[in-house]
Amino acid sequence: MELVKKVLQGDEGSAARLISMIEEGLDEGYEAVSLLFPHIGKAHIIGVTGAPGAGKSTVVDKLAVSYGRQGRKVGVIAVDPTSAKGSGAFLGDRVRMRDAEKVKGIFIRSMAHRGFPGGVAKATLGAAYVLDGLGKDIILIESVGAGQTEIQISMICDSVITVLTPDYGDEIQLMKAGLIEIGDVVVMNKMDRPGATEAAEDIRFFLNNREDQPWQIPVMAMEARRGKGIEELMAALKLHHTYLENDTQGKSKKKDNTRILVLALFKEEFWSLTLKRIQGETAFGEVLQKAQDGLIDPYKAVQMGINLALTKG
Amino acid sequence: MAVARYIKDEKDQILDVILESGIHVKPSYSQKDLDAIGFSYDKDVADPGEYPYTRGIHALGYRSRAWTTRQYTGFGTPQETNERFKLMISHGQTGLNVAFDLPTQMGYDSDDQMSEGEVGRVGMAVDTLRDFEIAFKDIRLDKIGSGLTINAVASIMLAMYQAVAEKYGYDPKVISATPQNDILKEMIGRGAWIFPVEPAVKLIGDTIEYSMTVLPRTNPVSVCGYHIRESGATPAQEIACAILIANAYIDNVLARGYDVDAFVGRFSFNLNVFGNMWEQVAKFRAARKLWARNLKEKYNVKKAQNLFLRGLFGGGGYGLTKAQPENNIMRGAYYALVAALSGAQTTALCSYDEAYTIPTPHSALLSLRTLQLLMDEMGLRDTVDPLAGSYFIETLTKEMEQKIEEEMDKIVKFGGIIKGVSEGYIQRMVARQAFEVEKGLESGELLKVGVNIYKEGESMDVDLHEYNWESAEKQIEALRAVKRERSEKDVSRTLKELESATRDGKNVMPYLVACCKAYASVGEMADIFRQIFGEFNEPSLF
Amino acid sequence: MQNKKNLKVLIAKPGLDGHDRGAKVVAQALKEAGMEVVYSGLHRTIDQIVNIAVQEDVDVIGLSIMTGAHIPITQRLCQKIKERGIGDKMVFVGGVIPTRDVPKLKELGVAGVFPGGTPLAETIQFLQSISKKG
Repeated sequence: MELVKKVLQGDEGSAARLISMIEEGLDEGYEAVSLLFPHIGKAHIIGVTGAPGAGKSTVVDKLAVSYGRQGRKVGVIAVDPTSAKGSGAFLGDRVRMRDAEKVKGIFIRSMAHRGFPGGVAKATLGAAYVLDGLGKDIILIESVGAGQTEIQISMICDSVITVLTPDYGDEIQLMKAGLIEIGDVVVMNKMDRPGATEAAEDIRFFLNNREDQPWQIPVMAMEARRGKGIEELMAALKLHHTYLENDTQGKSKKKDNTRILVLALFKEEFWSLTLKRIQGETAFGEVLQKAQDGLIDPYKAVQMGINLALTKG
Repeated sequence: MAVARYIKDEKDQILDVILESGIHVKPSYSQKDLDAIGFSYDKDVADPGEYPYTRGIHALGYRSRAWTTRQYTGFGTPQETNERFKLMISHGQTGLNVAFDLPTQMGYDSDDQMSEGEVGRVGMAVDTLRDFEIAFKDIRLDKIGSGLTINAVASIMLAMYQAVAEKYGYDPKVISATPQNDILKEMIGRGAWIFPVEPAVKLIGDTIEYSMTVLPRTNPVSVCGYHIRESGATPAQEIACAILIANAYIDNVLARGYDVDAFVGRFSFNLNVFGNMWEQVAKFRAARKLWARNLKEKYNVKKAQNLFLRGLFGGGGYGLTKAQPENNIMRGAYYALVAALSGAQTTALCSYDEAYTIPTPHSALLSLRTLQLLMDEMGLRDTVDPLAGSYFIETLTKEMEQKIEEEMDKIVKFGGIIKGVSEGYIQRMVARQAFEVEKGLESGELLKVGVNIYKEGESMDVDLHEYNWESAEKQIEALRAVKRERSEKDVSRTLKELESATRDGKNVMPYLVACCKAYASVGEMADIFRQIFGEFNEPSLF
Repeated sequence: MQNKKNLKVLIAKPGLDGHDRGAKVVAQALKEAGMEVVYSGLHRTIDQIVNIAVQEDVDVIGLSIMTGAHIPITQRLCQKIKERGIGDKMVFVGGVIPTRDVPKLKELGVAGVFPGGTPLAETIQFLQSISKKG
């Protein structure tokens, strides 16, 4: 396919167009990704997640610049969390990466959370593959992290950085929600603020309860705006990448991730296919109505719905 | 363009008036309203010239002296600027006001790629000391003060001003410069920023510190609520931001160990004047009171004179329209009336044609006459703060005071003005409001004469001056000549010293003066700062 | 399975001018109308703007120019997008634009001109009509 060839040759315009096709969910787009797939896999895909205002964009910006200085080829995908189904989106993270924009050959793409099945994560995976095909060996994905769908950014990325700040105050909540463990590296940003050292200690203590894990999640203090701590972060990422490539547990982690990802995608895809089959059907409408009116219980309604979907011609 | 919101019935009877700042206006006011707010003349208002200065900073107001008017001078080349300076001085002008072109404002030399198409366009192009030498030739810098509309590179321009004065034999202690020097408002509403917030504020602190000893007649900071208002802030937010911004600069200097009384008295304010008349007058009265109280209670300022809010109340650009531009003459008159009723020390008006062209001498003259009419014919000099004691105005002033404090509290709660500007909180607020105003105008919810009501009349097409490519070329040539003639050794030595001083966190001013004297260029000096400080990372809009 | 694509619009501020009230108002209006808006931020060079347009695969490029330099800037942009192979993307211009310059801009390839004072609904309608064609 022409587009695929151009992407592999390093043509930015083709890469951008291919990402758009993937965003639109066009079959052509996914076919292209399959053609691309054998040629890729060398990139280190790094996700940057965390609470709004934690400084994700700044961390991404600084990492991009630092990797650029090392001569790496960098791609950035900035996922905008503010958009919702139907309404428009403001893709504004790019504005905050002015230094990254100056890195030679950097490719930055903003993606809107369009609220479709599979969510933004599905398209982000494809976009990451495209950037890999374009020749990027570092791909930074900025995202809020836990979305409404099964597919997590963490399934797509090799390494995930969780960015927190002492202001956020709810580390306990995050720990409860299992969000901190999604990260392979935790960054306590804005370390110049009061409470930073204590908060970092709290998290370190929490994470140390898993001595059996071969990868110990480091908690690093940073002041991203001033660039403080970037070197240490990059070192940690390098270690993690080595772990993924060489350690038995690391290699199997990647395989696990892929398996989880495929299952999650499958689940989403299957669901939307099923829904398409029965959504417009009067029979299904009747089932829903009966359940709404309390004539049948929800379990019965689901059973009837499944039967409809399976038996539909 | 923003106005109050009017809720009317089908018979055009006004049911409610909601001012921009959120205050509702009643059909009438009486003693009962004053009682309801616990009005106390001595505490809330006091005599003119008495703390808290609500009625005015001087007991005699305009009786002792009419307001001063400012006319901006923005000309392409230093030569043209010098000619215009001399002309204005011959007309009796006692102060100069210099506008700079965008490359200069943004720290680029005229031959920089970024400067293409902008050299000398909106003001004077300044590359090296040579340009100042030409612009200020034969000007009595000991007698004439200069306002410099410069912000991001104010430190450089101030240093250059000192350098040119010394070159012409003046003692730095007698020259008077007034750089605008308010970077936080740039980040909120004017966009001529370069460096990130913290180093930019540090530079402002350096100019204030330096001027205390070396340039004692400098007015180092003019805090501009003006542009914040232009970009969408309500009148209450304009003052809230202005006070917090001023405090941020004060804090920077205090941290260096100085006594607040040593410098705060030279701060001035540049505030906007368009909008609902009553809201504006109440705003200025409340602003004087809050500023004085802020200085007294928060900073323990001792000298009474240092508590004054010295202000230029004027402009009103956003209030003017392209549609039926002659309406802007009347608007200007009303805005000027507001400024006079509010006791402005200095004022300036946008010309009626400013919405679509560079003001002609005729329109500039009309603006001047507007101001003179009020002072010399209509009686605005007669007595100080004539609206004092009005049930409405005193109630509204008190309510504005509360609104301003509410807005200040919101920003402080977010984490302060520095955090607010760094993270875009203020910018998002004004942008959102600007959008709401636009929607209000388009839906007709907000009324604007000539725009959505009383639309019969003529509009003018925008008329822009041709860019003078020749002039720009000459400027670039002149810069090249200076670079050929100067001592590269001196330039690189002074720049290196500037660099180490900046890295060491020292006050950069003396090093800048040395660079200017060696004919280092604005771009070269700004680049040192860019390398060390980096650039401001504009926050996201949403 | 297809996801309906919203119109993706770049609102760009070329050059050194810092007046962005109008650009930000339009950006918000377009977002409210359901479009995906990429805002370039201030002080962008033509090269940077075109780069953004390429990488974001926008449908429309909007320039906001308040300084009077709209003709040379637009000229350079239209040339650059052709060089980068995205000459098919629509360009619209807003800001301080004299009516008499509109034909010149159209000649350069601009699809629509929306000087300050244009009702937002008009700008939105114009962009939506392009998306139907495109």
